[in-house]
Amino acid sequence: MTLANLHDVRFTYAFSERPALDGLSLQWEEGRVHGVVGLNASGKSTLCALLRGIIPHFHSGELTGQVEILGRELSEWDPAELSTTIGCVFDNPFTQISGIRDTVFEEIAIGLENLGMPRDELIDRVVAVVRRLGIEHLVEKNPNGLSGGQRQKVAFASIIAMDAEVMVIDEPTSQLDPESSEEVFEIIHGLKDAGKSIVLVEHKIDLLAAYADTITVLREGAVAMSGPTRDVLGAPELPSFGVRPPEVVELAVRLSGDGRDLGVMPMTRAEATRAVGTRMEEAHRAH
Amino acid sequence: MASPSRFSTFLHGYGRLTIFLLPIGVAINFVGGQIALLLKLPIYLDSIGTILVGALCGGIPGAIVGLLSNAINSITSPPTFAFAVLNIAFGLLAGFFGRRGFFRVWWKALLTAIPFAFIGGFFGALITIWVFGGLAVGGGAIIVGMLTALGMDVNTANFVAQIPMDVLDKVPTVLIVYAIIKGVPKRLMTKLPLGHVYLTPAGRTPATAKAV
Amino acid sequence: MADTALERAARRYGADATLGNPIRDMNPLILLGCVAALAAIAVAVPGWVVAVGMGAVFVVIGFLGGRGSGYLMTFLKLWAAVGLILFVLRALLTRSGEVLVPLGPIAVTTDGVQDGLRFAAAVMAVCAAATLFFALVPMRHLMLALERIGVSPRVSYVLLASFQSIADLGATARVVLDAQKARGIETEGSLLVRVRAFFPVLAPVFLTAMSATEERAIALDARAFNRRGARTSLVRLRSPRWWEWVVLAVLVLAALATAIGANLA
Repeated sequence: MTLANLHDVRFTYAFSERPALDGLSLQWEEGRVHGVVGLNASGKSTLCALLRGIIPHFHSGELTGQVEILGRELSEWDPAELSTTIGCVFDNPFTQISGIRDTVFEEIAIGLENLGMPRDELIDRVVAVVRRLGIEHLVEKNPNGLSGGQRQKVAFASIIAMDAEVMVIDEPTSQLDPESSEEVFEIIHGLKDAGKSIVLVEHKIDLLAAYADTITVLREGAVAMSGPTRDVLGAPELPSFGVRPPEVVELAVRLSGDGRDLGVMPMTRAEATRAVGTRMEEAHRAH
Repeated sequence: MASPSRFSTFLHGYGRLTIFLLPIGVAINFVGGQIALLLKLPIYLDSIGTILVGALCGGIPGAIVGLLSNAINSITSPPTFAFAVLNIAFGLLAGFFGRRGFFRVWWKALLTAIPFAFIGGFFGALITIWVFGGLAVGGGAIIVGMLTALGMDVNTANFVAQIPMDVLDKVPTVLIVYAIIKGVPKRLMTKLPLGHVYLTPAGRTPATAKAV
Repeated sequence: MADTALERAARRYGADATLGNPIRDMNPLILLGCVAALAAIAVAVPGWVVAVGMGAVFVVIGFLGGRGSGYLMTFLKLWAAVGLILFVLRALLTRSGEVLVPLGPIAVTTDGVQDGLRFAAAVMAVCAAATLFFALVPMRHLMLALERIGVSPRVSYVLLASFQSIADLGATARVVLDAQKARGIETEGSLLVRVRAFFPVLAPVFLTAMSATEERAIALDARAFNRRGARTSLVRLRSPRWWEWVVLAVLVLAALATAIGANLA
């Protein structure tokens, strides 16, 4: 089943002049990590809101085009069902903490309580998620006193506990320091290993290159490029859409321009190190 | 092949956002009051949230904010609860005026200060007389006490003390409410029950449909 | 083998919620009824002796509930701030009865003293009851008890979120005000100056808080907040014990009896 099938989608927020999505079409498979990049106001967050049904049920405006989520038309989805089928984490750590629970343990349990999960199962589920994300040291703390990075992890835990098949993650590290960002990406890695479908909007292109299976580049509300990570991030026209390629790609392109092509487009530091090492060996043997 | 469907909607906020605005309204009441105390202003400024939520979401949400703020205050100062009716009235009245667009223009907003002050002052004095025999608590009571000592009848003293106080308090309150409403972003406004009042200028300007 | 914090937490949540004290573990609504009944008795009986005595009873209950010292402080502060004024004003300004202490245009009269004591004591009894209840019962437990009898979780959300928002918004406002002070914007001085310090600072703070509600709504929606259907609760209050009902019944009957008795007298 496809995760999402969008065709010629246009959306204009109510009382707004310009459309936020303008002829957007894409097709995404389940079970993959789909990275989304683009300049600010290119439609990334609007796309995320659309996938979860927040548009048009919460944000009013004019929506046209075909939107199919997990095989069903958007209009056929019950809004409450859709918003729990597709979990979401976004960039503000402060608005994702409910403010009505005194411990992190209770905070994580909220979603499961609302789903009507029996208490014993609920407790086991919370314990499992806490262990998985390595936040045992936070369980008795008051969520309202945590740092941004800690809150973001609790937000992840709260959504992961609900075990949705799909997660839409919108710039989760934009308000975090580098160390917390790394930890968040490890969480995402874990989700990927568990076979979840993930839509990940990020600016940190280097991290995206390491984890995403496909990259979709948005520009002015439409898809400029979409495809496997290696193809998109290695494409020469990428910068023209306002997206900086990963460091290692820039390195490979420069080497290629110097006549020292690496033969393979590296996506991660590890791949680059290997490719350069191989080339150096060949060069060494050639002499 | 699924045909391109056209689900264009002008959904007004489902009112789902109202639930989330109520706690903010309560917080605004408290913070307003705290700041007034901090800056030693001789006014309460503790109904900004009530009137704001009433003007944006309707009378009942406004009344709830008023009642809730009063109830929370009553935990540490139980006599306050006798005046709960006033806060409820402020909320309902704010909804009434909000619906009729009084907070769209600054001088109309200013006009609403009169009924607010009257209710607060007049009925506040009445409640003080009925429930507390004319002598309640706080600075107001001291003033009433002094006036009575000077020979004024206790009931009159209450009105003389309360009504001017309330006028002094409600005028800045409604102006602040007006200022805040002006600053509410359109996208948030569309989700509020009375948002349509503030989003339509002289004539309607709906987002135009795009030719596909 | 030592238990980890996580395992301990899981065990704690697996059992009934307890605050470690039989009075505080009473069903919040039953406790509310008991305290209200006691306050009703204090007010129904004429005169001031019973009312003041009830205040002492409340303090005792406070100590039995393990919250004695804090409650006693609050109780005394309440008497000083509220009760005293109620008494003094009445004592000085009631014009009937014998004059005890003349003080120029006003005088302390016998009726004033009686009246003052009675009124202050009655109001204080009600205040003490309310304060006692909230000293013994955490807001969260009260909400749980209400949800158990069918009150919507939205109501408990609004109540609990209000407390948190008051704290959050207060902290933000203080930060902003301090920043203003540091920038040299006067917060002391003439009235007009102070008013001008107030206005432009707070509107943006309030607006930001209001705008944040959009994201809050979405975040809670993602946790099935808007789902219609049965909910469960991690924290479970214990079922009311039989003696709680007995105490409640006794107190309510006593309150009714005194009310009727006082009316017939």
